Amino acid sequence: MNRIQILLFATLRDTLGTRRLQLDLPAEATVAGLKDLLVATYPQLSPSRNSIMVAVNQEYAGDDSPIPSGAEIALFPPVSGG
Amino acid sequence: MEFPTVISITEDVLDLDALLAQVTLDSTGAAAVFTGMVRKVTARGEAHETLYLEYEAYQPMAEAKMRQVADEIRSRWPAVEGIGIVQRVGRLHPQTPTVLIACTAAHRDTGVFEAARYGIDRLKEIVPVWKKEVSPQGEFWVEGDYIPKPGE
Repeated sequence: MNRIQILLFATLRDTLGTRRLQLDLPAEATVAGLKDLLVATYPQLSPSRNSIMVAVNQEYAGDDSPIPSGAEIALFPPVSGG
Repeated sequence: MEFPTVISITEDVLDLDALLAQVTLDSTGAAAVFTGMVRKVTARGEAHETLYLEYEAYQPMAEAKMRQVADEIRSRWPAVEGIGIVQRVGRLHPQTPTVLIACTAAHRDTGVFEAARYGIDRLKEIVPVWKKEVSPQGEFWVEGDYIPKPGE
């Protein structure tokens, strides 16, 4: 198993009530697998699943992107700075 | 010679003069500056009033993406010399500047206006910063409509 740190921002932090999570992912997990596990663990994320952005080691990732061991993961909604 | 690139995320009051000084060179004859402001009264779309905005950033990634925006500006407008991008975070009230984009060049007809415009547009697409809008009716997180591609 691969224990990963997940940082949460904006709506996702409010929805889950915390700034960070730890999850155990299977080795060779992808972003899609992470989202599946998240929604299964936290059903309240289900409505926003398709708009959740995932950054892996501070770079935008797609569903097929691998999650390396010890990666820093961040979950957030589409950005709205400026 | 290396041209200055100033990137920062701060809770402090934005200082336009200080930023401009940092991106001004002996060769500078033009500076295009964009400032985003907290708007109290919104008429476009769903009309509403804003008490304040609460900004937050994923700081290390946001700084890296701001640097990427500056690199993209340089590759599109090679005549742009200095670039400053500063995002303020925290609780910001109406009539307060929230972001500064400053691009300098030798002359005004070098694309320097378009470069500053590109800077703010691109920041709003890829830099991980969010704002929560607080109005008399309640509060909600503003969400953008741009989905970056992997690695973008």
